[in-house]
Amino acid sequence: MALLEVNDLTVKFYTGEGVVTAVDGLDYRIERGEKFGIVGESGAGKSVTALSLLRLIENPGQIERGEIIFKGQNLLEMTDEEVRRVRGNEMAMIFQDAQSALNPVYTVGDQIAEAIRHHMDLPDSEVRERTIQLLDSVGIPEPETRYSDYPHQFSGGMQQRVIIAMALSCDPDLIIADEPTTALDVTIEAKILDLLENLAEEFDTAIQLITHDLGVIAEVCDRVMVMYAGKPVEKATVEELYYDPKHPYTVGLMSAIPRVGERSHRLQTIPGTMPDLVELPSGCSFHPRCPYAEEACTRTQPPLLDPETGEPLTGSGVERGAACLEYSGELVRGLDFQVTVDDVLGDEADAIGDVDVATTEGELDD
Amino acid sequence: MRRIYESDALHRDTDAPFSPNERDDDDVRPQAARSIPSAAITSAVLPGWVRHRSISVDVSVPATEFTAGSPVPFQVTMKNAMPFPVVIPTESAIQWTWNVDGHRDASHFPLHDPPAGDDAITFDRGERKRYRKRWDQMFRVSDDEWEQATVGEHTIGAGLNVVDSPGKGLYDEATFRVVPE
Repeated sequence: MALLEVNDLTVKFYTGEGVVTAVDGLDYRIERGEKFGIVGESGAGKSVTALSLLRLIENPGQIERGEIIFKGQNLLEMTDEEVRRVRGNEMAMIFQDAQSALNPVYTVGDQIAEAIRHHMDLPDSEVRERTIQLLDSVGIPEPETRYSDYPHQFSGGMQQRVIIAMALSCDPDLIIADEPTTALDVTIEAKILDLLENLAEEFDTAIQLITHDLGVIAEVCDRVMVMYAGKPVEKATVEELYYDPKHPYTVGLMSAIPRVGERSHRLQTIPGTMPDLVELPSGCSFHPRCPYAEEACTRTQPPLLDPETGEPLTGSGVERGAACLEYSGELVRGLDFQVTVDDVLGDEADAIGDVDVATTEGELDD
Repeated sequence: MRRIYESDALHRDTDAPFSPNERDDDDVRPQAARSIPSAAITSAVLPGWVRHRSISVDVSVPATEFTAGSPVPFQVTMKNAMPFPVVIPTESAIQWTWNVDGHRDASHFPLHDPPAGDDAITFDRGERKRYRKRWDQMFRVSDDEWEQATVGEHTIGAGLNVVDSPGKGLYDEATFRVVPE
């Protein structure tokens, strides 16, 4: 049994402008100890997906349908009290902006200890000891002293570590990391990602990592789901996604990664912007920006298809899939891109494990 | 609770130009106008038909003819003519709807399933709400299939999500022609 299974998750926001379909029919699963990445531009529905898992969607948002099965239980059928027992305890979240996530009027020690006190029946002295251990394990120097410090006395990177310590406080089975390094500089980002990876391995915790940075995905994750306009457009392992992307949007994202030493003066981008989720284009939502779009793309919205057989994927399986009409044979001209991997260092397998190497070696020719 | 003016932290002096004046404790007039929940009051006091008459809905398209395949922009304007707020209860969390030739959201089947329960749309005094949308001349015929609209006359309508919105004057339509390229 998978640790987390999401089936047909649909989340809508009822606003004055109209109905925003933030997440539309999402299916995926995360196994125990697995690191699963969700990638996409701003507005793709990544964060709403994360908040839905913890049932933190607020009015006017509604989880309209679907199932979130965590350790065999459907979170959407639980009472609020039951969900509170899961939240922070078995499933924890690392929020994107640590400064906003921390309460400025409580010490960081108290904030970490609160989760431990709430979920674990421990005496105060042990709670304090555990909190200090956690601060130490996430690399906060002098944790006994820093226990009584307030968030403003920490740097951005240290605040993010505090949030990670808070997420780890009750040994969760799943950590949802919502762009944990977006607000940080690259050196701190690398440290935080290392820390997250090491801690996940140490505690055998599964991670759902949400980011818009494909480099971060390559560094940390085993499998990836690419989202666009609230829908999954590609699911694959990291190796497959990097060496053999199947969806034009994934190709666009990869070609938009800046590479050191590139001779071209202009960075390749995906033209246009994410569509308004109130008014999605007909057919494939990506067709107005897709260089390979044809008439059929404006009339048919493809589900996730097996790129080899063209068969639609069913349920939340781990099979590879891409939502493009190319794989159902409906595109006349087909997709015309190729991925060239310059094997500069001579070891392709290593390239996947390293963000810098992967981004400087992979070359996408449209 | 101890107030800041009881703390002696603030120096008051009626004569000094840069200090606040001495406080007259006998003067207990409110410092600012109190706010009242006027939307709640008017919704309790005003009968439904007055509220409906207060709101006008207008749908407009920028041209009478569009070539086949080109998007049709349209604008929905709702205005409260009254100098007080008006609240209109709606059938669901969807406050207003639009349709093409009677097909809500240009779809042959319901796209949304909002949670049951009363909701309402609130207009401030004299408020004008304006929504700009586009219809790409496609009708959704199934979950993943769309169909091109035929050449000829089409009507875009929009109204508040209340029972019998045309009968209550909370609905409007605009007609145009789709012509071949």
